[in-house]
Amino acid sequence: MTTDWPTADLDPVLRLRVMAAGLNSVMYADEYIDAPLADVWSMASDLEGELPHLVPTLSAFHVPPGPEERKQVWAYSLFRHRARFEVLLQPGWCLMQSKYVVGGMAAVAEGSGTRFAVLGGLRQTRLTSLLTPLRPLGRSRGLRMIARARRRTALRRTAPHAET
Amino acid sequence: MNTTGMDTLRHQSGSRKPPEDADRWTAAARLVEAAQSGDALALNDLLNLLTPYVTRLCRPIALTHGPDAVQESLIAVFQGLPRLKDPTALYGWVRVITVREAVRVARRAQRETPVSEFDDVAGWQGTELAADVHDVLRRMSSEHRAVLVLRELEGLDERSASEVLNISCGTVKSRLHRARNSFRKAWTR
Repeated sequence: MTTDWPTADLDPVLRLRVMAAGLNSVMYADEYIDAPLADVWSMASDLEGELPHLVPTLSAFHVPPGPEERKQVWAYSLFRHRARFEVLLQPGWCLMQSKYVVGGMAAVAEGSGTRFAVLGGLRQTRLTSLLTPLRPLGRSRGLRMIARARRRTALRRTAPHAET
Repeated sequence: MNTTGMDTLRHQSGSRKPPEDADRWTAAARLVEAAQSGDALALNDLLNLLTPYVTRLCRPIALTHGPDAVQESLIAVFQGLPRLKDPTALYGWVRVITVREAVRVARRAQRETPVSEFDDVAGWQGTELAADVHDVLRRMSSEHRAVLVLRELEGLDERSASEVLNISCGTVKSRLHRARNSFRKAWTR
């Protein structure tokens, strides 16, 4: 790739929008958060500490230690159901999938703040098409998740070791 | 014909061959099958693989609207992925979708953007020759740029280019003639 042509690389949020189209996702939303990218992504990438705060049906998300980008993670629901997730975690980019569901988060700097995006859906393409009418509800669910991310980021900025 | 401009166009967008080696495109067929079954990580890998190629096609057609064209092309590709019956046909299939999307985005931009705004766009910081090539491209219609990309960068014959663009061979020939003529005139000024 030469530098003489204008670049057209996709930032993580645009990538997640493309992924949402490909996965026929039930939930997708992106919105501005008035906090620096480093703070937002520090919160979002702390999957074990923060994902249960962002996803209300999740009680725990056990991430094995280590610097690997791809990991196998155990997730526990509020009803103690357990599911194994494959997770890909990179700067500004996170994808998670179990046998049945897919989730994702992305962030990119926008001015002095951050554009933050979330994605959720089912892996079974047949079921996904049945849930297409629910997509308008998916956006409001996505926006609520972003609102929680906004609150968690603010909380960690004021109290760096906040757990609740 | 003075080919300096065409050579620069080819050089700046890479060779006529696919930007990735054959092994990666073979691997892509396996990724397509996994992605079609709902594997998000395979879809992610496919996105990594396709983005440089889609970008390479979109830039000379959509010019400053390249990022929009890239995003809309990839969305169209991914939305259509479940209907791709032969994963080994991915390369040609992506090319058809991308070129048509890039032309559509460029046409829409031409309707919405006053010409003077294109003149002010920063981003052509390469050589003077690159700026000259850009200037010639900017003066063409998106349809002419698409013919040029398919013939000069992708190396398609006129029949294949006509199929991609859904136009007759005669139209491809006349657009190509006019596009090459634009370069010839620019270089003999």
